[in-house]
Amino acid sequence: MGMVQKRKKMHYGDTHLQRRWRVRNRRRDLDQIDDDMRTRSAELINQNVDLEKPGFAQFYCVHCAKYFIDDTAMQAHFRTKVHKRRLKALETEPYTIEESERAAGRGSFVKAKKRTMETQPTKEEVIAGKRIKVEEIPSTVDADDKPSTSKAKRKREEKMET
Amino acid sequence: MRIETCYFCSSKIYPGHGVNFVRNDCKIFKFCRGKCHKAFKRKKNPRKVGWTKAHRKAAGKELAIDSSFEFEKRRNVPIKYSRETWQKALVAIKRVTEIKERRTNHFVMERLRKGREMEIHMDVKDVQRNMSLIRSPAAGLRERRAKEAAEEAALMEEEDLPEEKITYVDARELEKRLEEGMGIEDLEMLEA
Repeated sequence: MGMVQKRKKMHYGDTHLQRRWRVRNRRRDLDQIDDDMRTRSAELINQNVDLEKPGFAQFYCVHCAKYFIDDTAMQAHFRTKVHKRRLKALETEPYTIEESERAAGRGSFVKAKKRTMETQPTKEEVIAGKRIKVEEIPSTVDADDKPSTSKAKRKREEKMET
Repeated sequence: MRIETCYFCSSKIYPGHGVNFVRNDCKIFKFCRGKCHKAFKRKKNPRKVGWTKAHRKAAGKELAIDSSFEFEKRRNVPIKYSRETWQKALVAIKRVTEIKERRTNHFVMERLRKGREMEIHMDVKDVQRNMSLIRSPAAGLRERRAKEAAEEAALMEEEDLPEEKITYVDARELEKRLEEGMGIEDLEMLEA
């Protein structure tokens, strides 16, 4: 009698996830990263020494918005699934507030563009003048789609008139 | 008073509802309810979440490209009040919503019709493929076999009909004639 037995936990909950989703733990969003790639890739890859940051801010992956302690760690990261998934996610244009408004009926729908995505150039290459390229893939599917939609639209308008 | 749109699901946000999140680059994200806010915190992509407007339009579930969507806009230009424009605007709003509704409904019905056509097509295909389940391949087999046998017999009779003409020749006579030095061809000529 009197022995307090510890209750066996059957469900460990999502506390660990809730902590990750806190605002203070917030990481950069995809649209911010997209902006980084377009405009600030050089200064992010080739940063000044910052003693507060891991690896003194010398090894930064722009796509994943992450600092690494040395070059080997960063090269290993480029080979991981996490990084490849991020590249894949950035291949389509990120979702924006404007798109949410278009979806609500303020303006017509615009299909998200596809881009080519490659792992960032090294620091030496950046100094030599290379930057992260964000090139849109001209899609042939779109060209095929347009006439059909316009045709459907025309048909619809004809019906409206009748 | 302004009715805002939710960042995640693109629904209306009436005053006094929802949450605003201001990111550290001054962009304001508005959410209609906790569900959308939570999804945002989890970095969900609205295009990939089925219940959002962005997904429905990207997937072609709803009318997405139309001229009737160009009327409503955030214009950010204050207009001086005049009774006439106010009245005109009211009429125009009613008319535009009416047209928009009709078009969206028409689009949805067209989309569903395609599915029904597909269903009928698949049903026909299914029946054709599994005909053996509806009608046994062995049904009427005995009659069919009897019929086949009768047909074969008829064929056999037909084949028998044209008989060859056979002429009987005395062997001794034939030998004699051959000895005399006549060829077989000559013999046939003689007979003819």
